[in-house]
Amino acid sequence: MAATRIDDKIRRSDALSKARGEAKYVSDYFFDGMLYAMMLRSTEARADIVGITHPVLPEGYYFITADDIPENGVNSLHMIGKDWRCFASGDVKYVGETIGLFVGPSRAVLKSLVENTKVEYAVKEAAVSIDDAIAVKGGAILPEKDNDVMCQLYCQKGREMDDVFKDADMTLSETFETGFQEHVHLETNGAIVTEEGDSYVFYISAQCPFYVRKSVAGLLGLPLDKVIVRQTVTGGAFGGKEHFPDVLAGPLLVAESKIHKPIKLIFDREEDMEFSVKRHPSKVIYKSAIKDGKLIGTKGTIYYNCGAYLSASYVVLQRGVFHANGVYDIPNTYLEGYGMATNTFPSDAFRGFGAPQTLFAIEMHMSHIARRLGIDPADFKKSMFIKKGGETVTNGHVVEEVMLNDMFDNIAKESDYYRKSREYGYGSGRGIGVSFYNHGGAFTGNGEQAIIKAHARLKKSGEKVTIEVGSTEMGQGFQTSLRKIAATVLEIPIEDVDYPNPDTSIVPDSGPTAASRSTMVVGKLIERCAIEMKERWNEGDFSVEKEYEHPEGFPWDQETFRGDAYLGYGWGAAIVELEIDRRTNEVLVKGVWTSHEIGKAIDELIVHGQINGGVIQSLGYASMEKMENKNGHFKQTSMSDYVIPTSMDFPKQYYHIQENPYQFGPFGAKGMGELVFNGVDAAYVDALERAIGKEVYKIPLPPEDIEEALENA
Amino acid sequence: MSASCYIPENLTEALEIRKKVHAIPLAGGTDLMVQAKRGIGINPVFPAPIMIITNLEELKGIRVEEDGTLVIGALTTSAEIASDERVFYHIRKAASLMGAVSLRNSATIGGNIANASPKGDLPQPLILLDAEVVLSSIDGERSMKVDDFITGAKKTALKDDEIIKEIRVRPVKATHLFYHKIGTRRANAISKLSLSILADVEDGIVKDFRASSGAAGNKVKRDRNVEMILIGKHIEELPSLVEEFTSAWDGILSPHAMPKYRRESTRRMLSYFLERIAAGAEPGIIE
Repeated sequence: MAATRIDDKIRRSDALSKARGEAKYVSDYFFDGMLYAMMLRSTEARADIVGITHPVLPEGYYFITADDIPENGVNSLHMIGKDWRCFASGDVKYVGETIGLFVGPSRAVLKSLVENTKVEYAVKEAAVSIDDAIAVKGGAILPEKDNDVMCQLYCQKGREMDDVFKDADMTLSETFETGFQEHVHLETNGAIVTEEGDSYVFYISAQCPFYVRKSVAGLLGLPLDKVIVRQTVTGGAFGGKEHFPDVLAGPLLVAESKIHKPIKLIFDREEDMEFSVKRHPSKVIYKSAIKDGKLIGTKGTIYYNCGAYLSASYVVLQRGVFHANGVYDIPNTYLEGYGMATNTFPSDAFRGFGAPQTLFAIEMHMSHIARRLGIDPADFKKSMFIKKGGETVTNGHVVEEVMLNDMFDNIAKESDYYRKSREYGYGSGRGIGVSFYNHGGAFTGNGEQAIIKAHARLKKSGEKVTIEVGSTEMGQGFQTSLRKIAATVLEIPIEDVDYPNPDTSIVPDSGPTAASRSTMVVGKLIERCAIEMKERWNEGDFSVEKEYEHPEGFPWDQETFRGDAYLGYGWGAAIVELEIDRRTNEVLVKGVWTSHEIGKAIDELIVHGQINGGVIQSLGYASMEKMENKNGHFKQTSMSDYVIPTSMDFPKQYYHIQENPYQFGPFGAKGMGELVFNGVDAAYVDALERAIGKEVYKIPLPPEDIEEALENA
Repeated sequence: MSASCYIPENLTEALEIRKKVHAIPLAGGTDLMVQAKRGIGINPVFPAPIMIITNLEELKGIRVEEDGTLVIGALTTSAEIASDERVFYHIRKAASLMGAVSLRNSATIGGNIANASPKGDLPQPLILLDAEVVLSSIDGERSMKVDDFITGAKKTALKDDEIIKEIRVRPVKATHLFYHKIGTRRANAISKLSLSILADVEDGIVKDFRASSGAAGNKVKRDRNVEMILIGKHIEELPSLVEEFTSAWDGILSPHAMPKYRRESTRRMLSYFLERIAAGAEPGIIE
């Protein structure tokens, strides 16, 4: 077989087994004597638990609660904070909070136990929306505070805002809102716990096996190495399996410590929709100062609905604030972010990780300013593009050449943007819209160096090489990309490189599979391992392990949020063309054109797949994916009432990949998994506004909400 | 609760079982299996014994009788209906837009009527066309209009010894046809709102006019008295009647959710159809 080269188009290593149904997901695992588990969950958004009465447990059945956590353990899942309880105890803070776990041999019996258990509540007034939380409805959720602000930050660039606004010849103040979004990964959440020797072992559908280990070990007061996590083939995640698997693994571990038999917990689709994390709803208020046709200053107040526990919310909020200027060099900015505690299911990681909300808002805001200035939104936006060396909102600098002008030229030509923009005008029923966006690669600031300290290992055995990392394949294609990087450097066929799903007792911790960091950071580590292995190839069987090295000259202060928040961005430009049916408000998308700068595509087929998927997910977010929460309960609980797009909804996609090799990435590659989600929503809404001749301020916009927008305008 | 399941070989046997134990007929199962599911790894639970009637040849197929009456067996699938040119436009179109391909290959017209969901795809055009449903029991047959058979959301006049045998649609004269389903998305979607309209125009006179609205109330909405506003009128009079007619039609709708949108979209579609006819649109489908 020929040695693999980086530009070869190759078939994904997991494609056939998944297409044929041969891939073994956690639900497909069976162990002798295995029991099943089912959660007893809160049905109230905020309440004290007065009492729990369950039916008499049949022989071989168990009911596990916080009382089963041993004295040397703590009732806490250690995510970034430690506030998320494994089991609710004394009170509940959101609908769906785990109160107990029924365990036994028959799922039908477990279901009946759950249904016939009576939890008596003293119900309290709940705060569900951002506005509820601002008003501290029902009193503060956080015990140590007198308000519902769970986390906050601000950052300033340039002059004082009051000063800037004195210079303005025009100001514009607008409020934008985005909704919940459900991940709808094809495979629902699931996990199995068992024992091997004196260790607990998890088989789990998860993005971050080492997160699970860290999160649950403290429940039993265990050293980390007494918990082994084996990732099973994971059928999609999108951030929904970054921290959330901990919420399954925690109760399972406590149960295992009592029962000592394999226990399986699999969510069905309704459970996975009703009782899992979602994208943070947002409310973003921009006030901008404009002078001589230029944006000279923007004050942004950013609220994210975090739900009842912190989880990743503070980091999500930070990313939201750091992306709140979009791709623009606004000379003066003051941005403040507030993560609001509410009695909803905790919000958590979701592709884009806080950036999509503010990017949507700034893109719409920029289009609205352009309209008031009588300039085509594309031209106004282009006049404000940040450039290499330009100052970011955290007083850091953009490290790479920004190629948005070239990228826009490409898709403007392909879509005939300027002709259509002129011809369709405003309110003709047809519209073409444009958006620009970026995504900072990897962990914010010095997180890769200070927090993660990723390790990766290559192991040589004869002519074969095995990749040992904690990074996971979740459908994004990483097992193929990483093999390709190793094989290319080693000049061997990709078939000679193995990359099994990680087992925390075998592989080093290469950090979470999140933050668009895998190719950029872990890929680089494997590239470095492979370069050394190549030099020593004739030494027989050996391993090479490398640790992350932070490039010099990129200061970051995590206390003040000043400095280089990201060492490199992916960049995107999008155009959407559509028509609206004036009688029914149905939107017909005529075309979607995107250009993405990701340094270098390690595999064009995989990148193309990511672009198609991310773009459609973003268009669904803008148009139809409506998840409402009433009194703490999600209203949409199945795939027939929470709809995601089909290929019929957004049929035509043109994509362009802009090369711009990145100095710190493998073969010049940067992150791209989240970038491709971050901004097409705004191009869609820009096009929609132009078609209907009205401005809109919130997404999603199904036809009935367009009716409302037309009515209220 | 019972786990009993019957699989009758022919209609007579099925009717005997139905009479004796009131077993629930299960055809495509696309509604019943969803309603009875209890979660992953747990058998579905039905409120009564189940009778899988997929084998009953007597209930299958489409035929046209001598007087032109179209007869659709209760077990005919949406896919079969959608691809049969003899089936009236509105029914065929509605069948073609029901769910996804896999669902259309198993969902049956009898099941769609029996389920009596206000969002159901087929009752709406059937009610437009005054279709009748034939109900069989071991003691005989009776028939009634689909509009009378469906009494409310998820409610029908089906007796516990009866099975839906077939649907009969007498020929309806029409020159202008309109069907539109607004789904939650462009394919594989549940109806947010649907509307069928037909008009029979002869020498400029509206001889017949009908409309039916799906997903706009507790059941499909149609009202002959409102339709009468337009019947007998010259097409030149239609523009002056649009307001009266659409307001009267609005009066029969009772949408629970998104009322404004459902009402206004219906009004705009009806107005559009009337404007096109008034403007002398060629006979055929109004797009």
